Amino acid sequence: MTTKISNDNGIKQEEKSLEKSPEISKKDLNRLFWRSFQMEFSWNYERQASLAYTYAMIPILKKLYKKKGDLSAALKRHLEFFNTTPHIVTMILGISAAMEKQNATDSKFDSSSINTVKASLMGPLAGIGDSFFWGTLRLIATGIGTSLALKGNILGPILFLLVFNVPHIALRYILTKIGYKMGTGFLKKLQENGTMGNLTFGAAILGLMVIGGMSADMISLDVPLKIGSGESATAVQDILDGIMPGLLPLAAFGVIYWLLGKEVKATTILIGIAVVSILGAWAGIFS
Amino acid sequence: MITALLLGLIAFVAQSEYALGTSLISRPIVTGMLTGLVMGDVKTGLIMGATLELAFIGAFSVGAAIPPNVVVGGVLGTAFAISSGAGAETALLLGLPIATLALIFENLYMGVVLPIVLHKADKYAEEANIRGITIMHVLGGLGMSTMIGAIVFISYFAGSDAIKNVLDAIPSPVQTGLEVATGLIPALGFAMLARLLINKQVAPYFFLGFLIVAYLKVPVTGIALLGAIVAVVMVNVMQTQKLATEKGGVMDDDDEDF
Repeated sequence: MTTKISNDNGIKQEEKSLEKSPEISKKDLNRLFWRSFQMEFSWNYERQASLAYTYAMIPILKKLYKKKGDLSAALKRHLEFFNTTPHIVTMILGISAAMEKQNATDSKFDSSSINTVKASLMGPLAGIGDSFFWGTLRLIATGIGTSLALKGNILGPILFLLVFNVPHIALRYILTKIGYKMGTGFLKKLQENGTMGNLTFGAAILGLMVIGGMSADMISLDVPLKIGSGESATAVQDILDGIMPGLLPLAAFGVIYWLLGKEVKATTILIGIAVVSILGAWAGIFS
Repeated sequence: MITALLLGLIAFVAQSEYALGTSLISRPIVTGMLTGLVMGDVKTGLIMGATLELAFIGAFSVGAAIPPNVVVGGVLGTAFAISSGAGAETALLLGLPIATLALIFENLYMGVVLPIVLHKADKYAEEANIRGITIMHVLGGLGMSTMIGAIVFISYFAGSDAIKNVLDAIPSPVQTGLEVATGLIPALGFAMLARLLINKQVAPYFFLGFLIVAYLKVPVTGIALLGAIVAVVMVNVMQTQKLATEKGGVMDDDDEDF
C-alpha cells in the first residue's frame, strides 16, 4: 500500500516492500487477452498448453518481477503442465495475474498456491468449456453453416464463423477482467451456490437435443429391398418408416455409440463403416 | 504448381487457427470455400466443405485426444473432388486416408519435436530469458503449420493425376458403398459427442431432439432454439425442486392460505 504513495512522491525504494510493484493496468490485461489467442499454438503431449500459458503471462511477469531470480522462478512455475478449453482460458490467466501480483508484493504469500489454483480450475473449466464450445455452440454454428453451405450459399461458412466466434471472443474478453477482479474466490462461489452445476446441466441438455436432432436429420441409411413382387410389392423401407421414421439411422448411432463405449478406436469404426457399407451395397441391402 | 502452392498456403493459414484463438478457421466448411475459390469453383467448394464438415463433425480435440487432421482432409478432399469432377463421396474417400496419414506426422511433431522445443524453453526460463521463451513458442507453432501446409502441397502436386486413374479403377458396388458410408459417417461424430455429454440425467434429451426432427422435420436451428428453452426450463425446475426440499413444508403452507 505504501508503495503507491512512494511512487507519487518520487521516492525510489520503500523500506518495507519486497518489490516496487506497479499496478496491473487495463492495457496489461488486454495484452493477456490478445496473447491468450495462441493458447494451443505450441500444444504438445508432454506439458500441453504450458509454453503458451507462459507466453501469455510474460507481459505481466515482466512488469511484476524486476529481479532476475524472481522472474526466472515465475517463468518456471508457469511452464508446468496446463490444459483447459482454450476459449475461456483468460479466466484462469486473469486469476493467475491477480495471484502473481499478490505474490510480488506480499512476503507471506505462498507462491506454490498459484499452481495449485491453476490445477484445480483447469478441470472444471474444461468440463464446462468443452461441453459449451464443442458440444453446444459449435454444433449450432455447424447446423446453421452447413445447411446454407450445402445449398452453395457463401453465407454458410461466414455465419459458421460468426455464430461461433462472436460469443467466443466476447466471453474470452470479459473473462479476462472477471478472472482478475475476482481473483481466487469467484469459482469457489459459483460452485457453492450451484450455478456451476446449472450451467453444465443446461449446456448438456441443449447440446444433446441438437445432437439428437442432427442425428435424425443427417444420418441416412436406406434399404431398397422389396417384399413380394409386381404391384403388390411392399418396400421394406416403408415398413420401417411406419414403425418409426429414422429407425435405421438411430440403430446405426446406437451401434457406434456402444462400440465407442467398448473403447473401439474411432479410426477402426470408420473403417468398419466403410467395409459394412460396401458389403451392404454389393449385396443390395443398402442404397 | 501454383494451385498446389495456394492450397498449401490455405492449409498453413487454416492450421494456424491455434494461434488465432482456436477460432475454427481450420474446419472443412471454411477451407472448402477457400479451396473452391482457388480451384475456380466456389459453389462446389462450399458444398464439399459442408459435406466434409458433417463427416468430420466429431473430429475436434477434447482433452488430449487428437482427431485426424481436418485441414488436410478438408483442403485435399475438396480439391480432389473438384479436379476430378466427382461427388462428395470421393472427397471423403480421398480426404480421410490422407488426413489420417497427416495425423501420424502431427502426433510425431507434438510428441517428439515440440517437447524438445519445450525443454529448450525450460533452459531459457532458468536464465529468465523472455525473448528465448517467446521464440520457442512461436517457432514451435509455426513449424506445425508449415508441416501441414507442406503435406497438402506435396500431396496435391503429386496426386491430382494419379487420383483420376485410381477413381476409374473403382468398381461400382464400392462407389455405391462409399455413398452409403457418407450417409453413415456422421453417426460416428454424433456418437463421439454424445459420449462426451451423456449421463443418466440428460440422456432423454438426445431422444427428444431425435424424435422431434424425425417426426416433425424441424430444422436444426429450430432444435437449437427449442433446446435452449428446454434447458432453461429444466434448470428452473431443478432449482425449484431443490428449494422445495431445502425449505421443507414452506410451500405447503402457502397452498393452505388459498
